[in-house]
Amino acid sequence: MPHRNDIKTLLIVDDSRVSRMLIRNFVLAKCPQWIITDATNGDEALKIIDHGTPNFCTMDINMPGIIGTDAAEQILSKYPGISIAIFSANIQESHRTRAAALGAKFIAKPVTEKTVAQALDFFEGKP
Amino acid sequence: MSSIPTHQPLVCEEIFDAVKLGLILIDGEGSVLMWNNWVAEHSGIPAEFALNHPLEFLFPDGLSSPFKTAIKNALSHKLPIILSNALHRSPLPIYPLPVTQDEQKRMQQSITITPIGINEKEHLVLIQIADASVSIKREGVLKSHSVKLSKEATTDGLTGAYNRRFFDERFAAEFGRAQRKNIPLSLIMLDVDHFKLYNDNYGHPAGDKVLISVVKKLKSQLNRPTDVVVRYGGEEFAVLLPDSEREGGRIIAEKMRAAIYDLNIPHNHSKSADRITISVGLATYQPGTSCDAAHLLKAADTALYDAKHSGRNCVRCSLPSE
Amino acid sequence: MTFMTELQLDALTEIFNIGAGRAASSLSEIVGEEVKLSVPHVKLYQSSKINAEVLSLNSARLGAVKQSFIGPFNADAMLLFTEERAMEIVHDMMGSQVSIEDVAEFEQEAMCELGNIILNACLSSMADILNISLESTLPVYSVGETNATLQQIISEANQPMMLVLHIDLAIEKRLSQGYLVFLLSSSSLKELLIHIDRFISAI
Repeated sequence: MPHRNDIKTLLIVDDSRVSRMLIRNFVLAKCPQWIITDATNGDEALKIIDHGTPNFCTMDINMPGIIGTDAAEQILSKYPGISIAIFSANIQESHRTRAAALGAKFIAKPVTEKTVAQALDFFEGKP
Repeated sequence: MSSIPTHQPLVCEEIFDAVKLGLILIDGEGSVLMWNNWVAEHSGIPAEFALNHPLEFLFPDGLSSPFKTAIKNALSHKLPIILSNALHRSPLPIYPLPVTQDEQKRMQQSITITPIGINEKEHLVLIQIADASVSIKREGVLKSHSVKLSKEATTDGLTGAYNRRFFDERFAAEFGRAQRKNIPLSLIMLDVDHFKLYNDNYGHPAGDKVLISVVKKLKSQLNRPTDVVVRYGGEEFAVLLPDSEREGGRIIAEKMRAAIYDLNIPHNHSKSADRITISVGLATYQPGTSCDAAHLLKAADTALYDAKHSGRNCVRCSLPSE
Repeated sequence: MTFMTELQLDALTEIFNIGAGRAASSLSEIVGEEVKLSVPHVKLYQSSKINAEVLSLNSARLGAVKQSFIGPFNADAMLLFTEERAMEIVHDMMGSQVSIEDVAEFEQEAMCELGNIILNACLSSMADILNISLESTLPVYSVGETNATLQQIISEANQPMMLVLHIDLAIEKRLSQGYLVFLLSSSSLKELLIHIDRFISAI
């Protein structure tokens, strides 16, 4: 039973193909009309966003190149309207705090229906 | 276990209370099912009181965070967990007899947590508590020569820098690696200026303190785990910088010189400054040249000599071919 | 001769990274400092091809913590560090006020616990994500001459396949590199891959 029938755009940023697939599938199960793009690292994400800003973004932390929280900071300073969920295996307190300070939501992996639901709630503006 | 007669449960209970080890059995919710004599004696909490209560209730202020995490993990998966004395010291409020409840006097503990009675849906958790003070002393006494040697073989007892023996092996290994992989290798040789005069005037204990501070400062200029500080001789040190070009090496050498200068340790008997300073020599191996390890060492040594004869408190570089 | 597809390796790497994240969190609770732990690569080898050179362990002595796991597949899992690194890690974990002499006394038990934390985190992550149940023996720490230790590990386990995970551990900014090694029989490896495929195809 689809959660929402609106059309939004989501950018998934993660160097693991399996994680990208998991997030995509769980999101589409609830929001089948959403348009989803992938990026395999922070630098790629920045380039993609400059060509077209998505509504929402999920961001891993440990990726080749720029660290995910830095990428999130850059994205939010340029495009404050984007909602970012930091989706990571790296659950250190320092990252949680940084995410919160940026106004991003921190969600610990693994990617499951439940954790993706947390991201969706955040995107919807639920507390 | 097979040959115990029909009163098996009673015998087991006696054994449970006779062992010189703390045994606590908890259920899937963390409530105490069994609490042996040893634990009752060393916690001051009798079994009748402990049974069916969660550990957090029995020890309201007393459990460390890592211990609580360990119990949580043990209840959710079926893997065994250890809480070593080395890293945790005294996670539970357990005391040598007589029990004082004084935080400072807790027993040194070594804890092992194992799943028990595993079936599909749930399992119980056994917490074993051993008095670690016994085993630490024994470990110390029984420590074999070879292990002590291996530790002594790599570090200088006073400063914590690596020692000469370590350097000889590591330098040879890194030089070989640099040659094979065609990457540069920088070597810094430095020593503390007028150190003998310092010792003569301020005393050896003060001199030792200087060496300890110097090594600490030198180490803090380094970021990479492969860069090492070695105590090469009495007041002479080497810094090995694998995969480091001459310019990078020179920058680090200068940072070190300045950092020691900025320590501002007064040395009224130094002939070159009013404080402790170092003279620094640097040499770099460039891949493709015919320089070998001995040449590089000699070149760094020559550069240090040069620094000493240029007024000290400075950095001099040389090329191995010079 | 089984080998793994890129997607299977990716899934396994993700699983181990999640485990590593949890282990790092436990370790930083103990050490009181930020601890970073990550698994950048996973690779499959034939055990007969393993030696110090292949793993680039260029040190005279090796420290190994071992636990044997049993479940739908069985594996002997080991955490490997050069002994120098092991001593440094123990020193960092115990806090700098501990003297160098004391570190050697505690090396054995501290390394057992470090291995236990990391191995348990990785295996429980695997259990959670692949929806299986795993049990294990208690950790055992041994130190020895590098090549001899590796050969002994391999001959004792007597398993043809070896999954090697390169791991990066950073405590107090000091970066140490070590390995997690899983020795598996071919049937265990097949079983593991079946579970991974099941997980991937459910995506």
